[in-house]
Amino acid sequence: MNATVPTPTPIVAVERVGVHFPVSGGRTLKAVDGVSLEVMPRETFGVIGESGSGKTTLGRAIICLEKPSAGRILHQGLDPYALSSRELRRHRRRYQIIFQDPNAALDPRMTILKSIREPMDVTGEMPERQRQQRALELMERVGLSPDFASRYPHELSGGQKQRVCIARVLTLRPDLIVCDEAVSALDVSIQADILNLFAELQAEFGLTYVFITHNLGVVAHVSDRVAVMYLGRIVEIGRTEDVVLSPSHPYTEALLSAEPVALPSNLRSHSRVMLKGELPSHVSPPSGCRFRTRCRFVQPLCGEKEPPWRETAPGHWSACHFAGELPIMSGAELHPVKLGGHAAQPEGRA
Amino acid sequence: MSVISEGVVRRKRRRSRFVAWLAGDKRAAVSLVFLLALASLSVLANVVAPYSPLEQSMDILAPPSAAHLLGTDDLGRDVFSRLVHGGPMSLYASFLAVSVGVLIGLPFGVLAGYLGGWIDTAVSRVIDTILSCPSIVLAIAVTGALGIGLTNSMIAVGIVFSPGLARLIRVQTMIVKGELYVDAARTFGLSTPRLVFRHILPNAIQPVIVQVTLLLATALLAEASLSFLGLGVQPPHPSWGQMLARAYAYMEIAPEQMYAPGFAILFTALAFNALGESLRSLLDPTRRRSD
Amino acid sequence: MSRRTLRVIGWRLLQVVPVIVLATFAVFGLLQLVPGDPAAVIAGETATAERIVQIREMLGLDLPLWQQYLHWLGGAVQGDLSTSLITGLPVIDEVLRRLPNTLLIVVCALILAISIAVPLGILAATHVDGRVDRFVTSIASLGVAVPNFWVGMILVGFFALNLGWFPTTGAASLTEDPARALWHAALPAIALASSGIAEITRQLRSALIEVLSSQYVRTLQAKGLSQGRILWRHGLKNVSLTLLTVIGLVFNRTLGATVAIEAVFAIPGTGSLVVTSATNKDFPVVQGVVFVLVLIVILCNLLIDILYSVLDPRMNKQ
Repeated sequence: MNATVPTPTPIVAVERVGVHFPVSGGRTLKAVDGVSLEVMPRETFGVIGESGSGKTTLGRAIICLEKPSAGRILHQGLDPYALSSRELRRHRRRYQIIFQDPNAALDPRMTILKSIREPMDVTGEMPERQRQQRALELMERVGLSPDFASRYPHELSGGQKQRVCIARVLTLRPDLIVCDEAVSALDVSIQADILNLFAELQAEFGLTYVFITHNLGVVAHVSDRVAVMYLGRIVEIGRTEDVVLSPSHPYTEALLSAEPVALPSNLRSHSRVMLKGELPSHVSPPSGCRFRTRCRFVQPLCGEKEPPWRETAPGHWSACHFAGELPIMSGAELHPVKLGGHAAQPEGRA
Repeated sequence: MSVISEGVVRRKRRRSRFVAWLAGDKRAAVSLVFLLALASLSVLANVVAPYSPLEQSMDILAPPSAAHLLGTDDLGRDVFSRLVHGGPMSLYASFLAVSVGVLIGLPFGVLAGYLGGWIDTAVSRVIDTILSCPSIVLAIAVTGALGIGLTNSMIAVGIVFSPGLARLIRVQTMIVKGELYVDAARTFGLSTPRLVFRHILPNAIQPVIVQVTLLLATALLAEASLSFLGLGVQPPHPSWGQMLARAYAYMEIAPEQMYAPGFAILFTALAFNALGESLRSLLDPTRRRSD
Repeated sequence: MSRRTLRVIGWRLLQVVPVIVLATFAVFGLLQLVPGDPAAVIAGETATAERIVQIREMLGLDLPLWQQYLHWLGGAVQGDLSTSLITGLPVIDEVLRRLPNTLLIVVCALILAISIAVPLGILAATHVDGRVDRFVTSIASLGVAVPNFWVGMILVGFFALNLGWFPTTGAASLTEDPARALWHAALPAIALASSGIAEITRQLRSALIEVLSSQYVRTLQAKGLSQGRILWRHGLKNVSLTLLTVIGLVFNRTLGATVAIEAVFAIPGTGSLVVTSATNKDFPVVQGVVFVLVLIVILCNLLIDILYSVLDPRMNKQ
């Protein structure tokens, strides 16, 4: 698969990566199973899937918190696992993550200031005063009053804690930030603030994001490109507006359809596609196409052969035997009002 | 905000929490006062005790009187003075045993819990094995090997404590190791030793502190038993357990002699236990009701 | 018993093997803790050079460590735990001769502890935070903190010396004269039981409170089931596993506590044997006693594990 013209080196290239965990009975759970993608500099790359799709594990693999059992991850062409452990410790500082639960991501025994300073304190490159100064500046930049400096995490709200995590990561001037469901644990009113903060910081610091979420609204709002994951694999990948407005994989259609719409029922589209059944087991996934057990278009071929990648539009790929041939509903049909307006060009970005 | 004022604020906050704790738990407050009194008495033993603990007299097995508050023992020594001088022995013994236990148990527990895999399996098996021996019997056996005496016998008790502590810290380490803030710290490039000292130990240590407080009582009782059996403090030096042994030999003549040292042991052990239980419910609010 | 249960028992039996092997290492390793030349230490300060050499050869201390271990292990497997340095008699004979005296008081203490602690625990758990509960909890705190040999001394002073109801010291054989044996065992068993009562009461109380305050039991109460019936059908059945675990722990501790109790009551058991031999540096005897006691505890734990898997089918998954 080669979705983009490879002129600049991708910030991250994921090459047929698998992350496997041993489970009882000597079997293996393939949380991520043969995933490939590339993230370009200054891009926001969305990864979407329901819980259990392996998206979080993929995010952790990208920043070397999970070692790939198969394939490899390249950071700007460099394999971090080829480095010595000392070099890896220095290198990985440029690849950061914002976790879903800001409460668990902060050491409860450290003050806010100490937490924010920690990444700089690890190397101690700058003099103490300068580190202090920079931590306070970043607190202000993410919208935290300096009064919080000497407080402990339990004294802050979820949104404030997430701002602390963002400030902490920014101290490192990272090349890439993985945002793993970074707003889904927050109140809806705060989600938008934090998303806007992410957008501002991207423009200001030239950041690259991998935005992992189950929330289609969030992905549509922030991402340039998006990959849809199902049971450890990517099933569809392409520019956000292409994927959202004209999905070519039945699973993406179902995901779009599942998105709740804040409309009175008489204005809501009547065409909803319901997913049937449960997510199959990762330990023994279905043969052929993994989505076939829940697909409304399932054919005998789907159980026999793994679907190849098919390009339905330039840069828009789908892992379905019948991509482009199915009567899949468009995003406009599924969400007549919500997505019709702004999905093509999210505000605040070029 | 300057670093100095930040420190002051934190210290103030900590002090008020400490006061609130003691005000809310009278038993812990009484225990703490008792232990502090015992500690100062131990430091000032030479001043407080009216006689030398070793000074013998012709006044043998005398009942309590104005001259001898708790009477005299079989060699005419003042029982009160021996009791006071036994205090520092007991405290020294308890803290020595627990320190040895922590010094051995902590590194092994952290190692097993952090590294996991076959090292964890091996360490856990060794812990299981040692724990399946009655602890005081093992302590006596180790004392026999190291040589009889207070310090050796308490090192032996500490060795016997270590697997239990290792098991506790192992579980705690495994829990904390899976926390997101440890993952976060890893992405900042922290080395493993720094990760352990900065994040894992401070967050895993709380139950160990509770356990250490409770073990001080166990160590005190172990010291009393071992000195009673003649494996701990050696005569003529006084210790509560050894005083009980002497009192027992003359029980038919002077039965009242066995009460003072016994109560000294009981109260001190009670105080350590009460403090430990109070710390436990302080640190873990879910247990407050049921324990 | 289901086939599954049998398989679990087999698996547990297999797991015991490495623990026993490790125990032999530990027991053998005791001698390595002796600082300096063990032969010289064992022989004592006044010993002649010949005596030291003799001891070294007797214990095989001149051989490489692994050979010493194999030699010791080879003997242990055949039931030969070497001979006492002082009496020259086989260690195993001495240990087995004294073991019944120790086990008698331990078993009596356990029975006593369970039969007192279970009603106390139930009483406290059904009156949480009431006066009864506070009283029981205080008694339990006292039981954990009191030196049991001191309790023994007080019991002797009162019941044996003052009242003359019980003998002060000694033991009798259970097979030859059961009544007299139990009469001798009464006071030591009571003294030994003090910490066991406290421990079992506390744990049972905590476990019962947890069960009784669960959503499930509250539903039953709402449905109108009587308190007694809930306690019996759901409370005690659910905590029986906790109880089993505590009893295993208390057995281990009580076995250890015999060392001081046997000294108080002058009972010729394994506890007093390990004390005298450790004092006299009679290491083969020390090793023998420790090894036999470890084996007993391991077997006891095994028994508890098996009971566990019989009582609770959920444990059989492994």
